[in-house]
Amino acid sequence: MFMAMPSPPKLTLQGITKRFGSLVALDGISIEFIPGQIHAVLGENGAGKSTLMNVIGGFLRPDSGAARFEPGHELPLGDPSGTRAAGIEMVHQHFMLIPEFTVIENLALATIGSLSGPLDLPFDRFNTLLTKLGWEVDLHARTGSLPVGAQQRVEILKALATDGPVLILDEPTAVLSESEVNDLNRVLRELRDSGKIVILIAHKLAEVLAIADWISVLRNGKLVGSVSGAMADETQLKSWILGDSSSIESPAAQPTVASDESEFVLRAHDIFVRGDRGEEAVAITSLGVKRGEIVGIGGVDGNGQVELAEAVVGIRHIRSGQLRAIGKVGYIPQDRQVDGLALEMSIKENFEIKQDSDLVVLPSVVSANARSLIEKYNIKANNINNKVASLSGGNQQKVVVSRVLEGKPDLIVAVNPTRGLDFSATQFVHDAIRLAAREGAGVLLITADRDEFRELATKFLYIDRGNVHDQGWVR
Amino acid sequence: MGQVKLAIALIIVIALALLGFGLSPAEGISTIVSGAFGGEVGWGRTLVNMAPLLLTGLGITVAWKAGMYNIGGEGQYITGGLLGAAIARTQFGGPWAILLATAIGGALCGALAGWLQVKRGVHVAISTILLNFIALQALAWAVTGPLQAPGTTASQTEELAPPQMLTRFSSRTDLHMGVLLAVVAAIMIWGYLNFTRPGFQLRLTGENPRAARAARLNADRIRLQAMALSGALCGLAGGVQFAGVSGVIDTGFNQQWGFLGIPVALLGGLNALGVIVSSFLFGGLMAGTQTLSRTAPGGDLLIFVVQGAAVLAFLFFQPKREPTHA
Repeated sequence: MFMAMPSPPKLTLQGITKRFGSLVALDGISIEFIPGQIHAVLGENGAGKSTLMNVIGGFLRPDSGAARFEPGHELPLGDPSGTRAAGIEMVHQHFMLIPEFTVIENLALATIGSLSGPLDLPFDRFNTLLTKLGWEVDLHARTGSLPVGAQQRVEILKALATDGPVLILDEPTAVLSESEVNDLNRVLRELRDSGKIVILIAHKLAEVLAIADWISVLRNGKLVGSVSGAMADETQLKSWILGDSSSIESPAAQPTVASDESEFVLRAHDIFVRGDRGEEAVAITSLGVKRGEIVGIGGVDGNGQVELAEAVVGIRHIRSGQLRAIGKVGYIPQDRQVDGLALEMSIKENFEIKQDSDLVVLPSVVSANARSLIEKYNIKANNINNKVASLSGGNQQKVVVSRVLEGKPDLIVAVNPTRGLDFSATQFVHDAIRLAAREGAGVLLITADRDEFRELATKFLYIDRGNVHDQGWVR
Repeated sequence: MGQVKLAIALIIVIALALLGFGLSPAEGISTIVSGAFGGEVGWGRTLVNMAPLLLTGLGITVAWKAGMYNIGGEGQYITGGLLGAAIARTQFGGPWAILLATAIGGALCGALAGWLQVKRGVHVAISTILLNFIALQALAWAVTGPLQAPGTTASQTEELAPPQMLTRFSSRTDLHMGVLLAVVAAIMIWGYLNFTRPGFQLRLTGENPRAARAARLNADRIRLQAMALSGALCGLAGGVQFAGVSGVIDTGFNQQWGFLGIPVALLGGLNALGVIVSSFLFGGLMAGTQTLSRTAPGGDLLIFVVQGAAVLAFLFFQPKREPTHA
């Protein structure tokens, strides 16, 4: 049935180069994106994937290079409305939603043609799309009150609404549950089959291999390899991604420190915690974490995970019950940009976001502390005086993780600590958490990522609608 | 380069404002400059005007850095002054006791607004504006009631005795100890914000209160403290005017010092050292326009028009803030 249609144009990038100060983020990238293909772009945090996508999306103007549709016109790089008019839609890694708006109002932003005249909220259009996707999203809900997984779906819906020839997704699966990922993949295949160019940034090789028709790998801003999805194998891709230094440095490989196994760092009984809207978010009869233990709490986002973490950490009021955390508590919140960092402050200052009783904070001490953590945790940062917002997502997360672990907490509460991180960074964070546990910390690992859950936890619990069970990944 | 452009723009805008009042720009500007920097008298006027501007500018800086948009410098200035005047009537009424009282008076007013914000969610910009109205009425009531000078019908407090006044450096000008105090305060606030843990936590709370909270810092307490400190500085501004210059408090005591602290703080880039510079420039502008208004038509109105035009020019031409990275 597609025979009669003229074949849609392919998108060609030629010699795209982008510098940030002395850092060459993209170094002469040339890639072809073929219609009817899902094209995955892989690479480590900071390899230039998001920068490349922001160039294609028109959000960043490259220093040199061009992009054009063939046959067709040149893409106006550096002009978001121009690239959008050309039909390039982007789902960002970080949400571009207005939290105070309802879902349908956010979606309407993508479909509104002009700013005058009455506003028709496009219910029909999105209900149709939702039915097609098989997703359930409450169009009337206030967007900010939705769990991140649901907000991600809203972002994807927004991008799908305009039906342009190119759809870019920057790590869309990071916050989705397994069945949601399957849904999304089904949708992406349908879009591909309708002749769209689908560009996908992802971290998990298995996911990429399952869906991509073509795979390109970036390292340090250069295109190091391209291969068809059918021909790709994991070892080859890994060596492209990591380069020669395929050995991953990690702080692990330390002897186990004997710790008193019977010592609890967290005990909770019959606790009830309310969410932001006053709803009953957490109801747990019993929960304990011992030193040396990594207690995993798995489950789909939005089941009371954040409320539980905040209650344990002591920043959310417990309505009733007993909760006792012994010693120092370290908290790795789930959204680094909202709860973990002060984006407008410098990198070095972000290492100082902690409780501390020292009165005088000398700049030399702050700088030395930042430098030593950057070295120890292998954080890619050019200049510690730059805003922390200038770091890539993975390196931002490393700032949070290193800051928390460096405080030598007795209890670590981590919520989705590797969300959006590439596998070497994930490995690094996992090893660091394991090491902390070996050295005697108790860890409460709250995660929606099954791989992380299986790999890291030493004890397995599940959360569903605020209740903790000891079996089943409850949907 | 940017500074040169800014200075030229500033002169043009002031010239236009002067033309609007039918004055010769050249003569007007030269009167302003000689009024501000002409000899000991001019410098004295400039520095005396600078002191309250510096203190209220610092007060605004501290609050805004903590994300508390204090618009109530005026009210805090007044409540500070009134508590100072109350202490002045007692046997403890030396100049330093008066200054301490004014700081406490302002701190209480600021802390009330801070408390309403953190406990009840009343936006501090709203509550401080309302508290300004209340403070103005309280001023009118106090100087005709409990604090009125005994045995007179004038709406003012009893004049401070010479030993109650801050030390003056010269008999020819009003230049007093409060000016030095304000500069010392600025250096201390600069050190506090940039080189101490509580100062860092204050700035962090202003940048991202959620990150402060997740790091288990008490963001509410930090904001409340910032408002108290902000109020104390604005109250102290009232103190240096009272014990340094006027010696009495009447219904015209406030003189917009609290409001002027906002543009001063903004021109100073919300940086305590920058506020020293901006309050100095502003003090000079005030001294110059005060001199001009004695001879020119328009009087006090001229002062405000020229100052307003200058602030707008400053804000318009100041280096554009770096856009944030996506």
